[in-house]
Amino acid sequence: MSWNIGVIVLAGILGLLGVGLYGLLVLRNLIKVVIAMQILVKGAILALVAAGAAQDQISLGQSLALTVIVADTIVSVVGLALAVQVRSHCGTLDVRALSRLKK
Amino acid sequence: MAVVLTLMTIALPWVGALAVWLIGDARSRLQSALAVAFSAAAGLVSLALIPYATGGYEFSVFDAGEAFGRFTFAPDGLGVYLAVIATIIGCLAVVFSLDYMKGEHQLGRYYAFVLFFVGAMAGLVLASNLFLVFLFWEITALCSYALISFHNDDPKAVAGGIKALIITGLGGIGLLVGALLAYSYLGTFNISLFLQNAGQMPAGALATVAFGFLAAAAAKSAQFPFQTWLPDAMEAPTPVSALIHAATMVNAGVYLLARFYPAFAAVPAWRITVISIGVITALMAASMAVVSNDLKRVLAYSTVSQLGYMVYAIGAGGIFASQFHLLNHSAFKALLFLGAGAVIHATGTRDLRLMGGLGRAMPVTRAVFIIGSLALVGIPVLNGFWSKELVLEAGFLGGPLWAYLLAILTAGLTALYTYRCLYLVFYGPSHGKIPPHDAGYAMRAALYPLAIAALVTWLLAGPFSRMLAASLPFHEVDLLPTWEMAVEVLSAPQTFLALAVIALGLAAWRWRERLSPVANAFHGLAQAASNSYGFEWLNRQVVTLTQEAGEALRSTQTGQLNWNVVAIAGALVLVLAIVILGSVL
Repeated sequence: MSWNIGVIVLAGILGLLGVGLYGLLVLRNLIKVVIAMQILVKGAILALVAAGAAQDQISLGQSLALTVIVADTIVSVVGLALAVQVRSHCGTLDVRALSRLKK
Repeated sequence: MAVVLTLMTIALPWVGALAVWLIGDARSRLQSALAVAFSAAAGLVSLALIPYATGGYEFSVFDAGEAFGRFTFAPDGLGVYLAVIATIIGCLAVVFSLDYMKGEHQLGRYYAFVLFFVGAMAGLVLASNLFLVFLFWEITALCSYALISFHNDDPKAVAGGIKALIITGLGGIGLLVGALLAYSYLGTFNISLFLQNAGQMPAGALATVAFGFLAAAAAKSAQFPFQTWLPDAMEAPTPVSALIHAATMVNAGVYLLARFYPAFAAVPAWRITVISIGVITALMAASMAVVSNDLKRVLAYSTVSQLGYMVYAIGAGGIFASQFHLLNHSAFKALLFLGAGAVIHATGTRDLRLMGGLGRAMPVTRAVFIIGSLALVGIPVLNGFWSKELVLEAGFLGGPLWAYLLAILTAGLTALYTYRCLYLVFYGPSHGKIPPHDAGYAMRAALYPLAIAALVTWLLAGPFSRMLAASLPFHEVDLLPTWEMAVEVLSAPQTFLALAVIALGLAAWRWRERLSPVANAFHGLAQAASNSYGFEWLNRQVVTLTQEAGEALRSTQTGQLNWNVVAIAGALVLVLAIVILGSVL
């Protein structure tokens, strides 16, 4: 059985996306949600780089990946800042507390 | 040089808007001085652009790659004259505001949005990239919203602003869809390339573009069935009404139709739809103006009605007639609105029933208001007469007879409501307090130039037609020297028919007591007209339906993050499934 690099990368992408999505679906702690989102986005970045390489457009894939990294960092920072605010307002990090906004 | 002037026409008001905003409300004298200076500078620059209009200039300021094309501007005749109207009337509106808005709070916000609007309007007409046109189109709508709702503690003003934003925004979708469709077939957003190659598009796609643009134009120019937002926009400060809702922004729809007429004229049913929308709007709005008791709403309905005339002329192929009427209408309607502003400022009310007999206390305002009214009615030698006759003539030659007869009837109604409005404000017995003062100096400084313009802009017919004919390669604009136009209008039998109907309209108000049995016969119609023929009811139904649908769908929003992720993942799977299915089938 031969492990070529493509299979490994594909498995990595699917694994990261799967773990991230699973985390987003089941986790309730806001900090953990942010971590799950980070994992998901890492999968997406890996997919971008891999797609760029597969299409012989390595530089395009890499520049898109860099863009996503920048955007992702900002999203995480805002998410964590929100988590701090939620903690100080609701006294908990449980995302279910946020549904009180609805009422 | 044309490049610099074009860009300065757009940039000067925008820089002014920033400057006025940054100066802050604490230094109000400097603030208003800056607003006047920047708007006047923009007006002068746009005037200096006129000689370049026939030069066929087109230049790119920025290359946005394949996605949006090159951001090009083309100062041609059609664009330059509208930019001149926007900046000059913008300048006069700012000057008028010095008196009218004195003592109001947050004037920085006011002047900044007015200047921002002026720049965006100039950009809208000077841009030759459809994507840019769409951007400027939406910026003008946004400024219009912000200025209608300027008194944001007044619920009526806020509601009027949101209504204008929603309706013009809905129409904007038509423009966007049309532009994207044109891009997908022709691979360019450039307007002249589109006009040149529109014939290569499939007929169905071109028809979609044509009717999309028509919807956008109807919403922007308050045409049937989107006319309801303009009367409610009268909650704006009066100089804003004069600038945005009479002289400039509402003309954007007419501009769009005129600009793209050569590409759409051959689309089946497009021209007759445009004609129908034009005359129906003109007649309906005129009849509503007859029964309205709010000074500004009368003028708003009259604006809608006159815009209907312009749309009608475009449908009938009279591009020059429509644009000439637009030019003249901008002058006399801005004059009427600013005159009404002086009256409202002095009396503190907009209700016609609380006015009357103001002529003695406000002779200057009365004089300019009479000039504007005569031009609106279409009395000879004022500018409105010439262009209205040209519109009617174009309609007679290029449109069906029923549309022409309705347009003539509208001319009679125009005379009736204008005379009624003039009488109720300045003559007859007084029903309210007599104001202590006439229009102030800054107000007069804005009123006099417009009054002169209402008297003389018809003399520009020759140069104006020459400018349009020389710079619009795809339009058929006849050269019409002023003298020839005068002879043509005065020798046409239609002119005298129109004048006779106008005289009947004037007589109808004079003999209103004797005609009261007739008026009673039309009581039901008057009732319907003051209820805006059920369109307000329709609007309320749509709003109620939206709110109820929102309430009903509330249960789908759990507010739980995990469930939202489920929905996102589900939608992703759905999209992937559709894509895969699409590639398989």
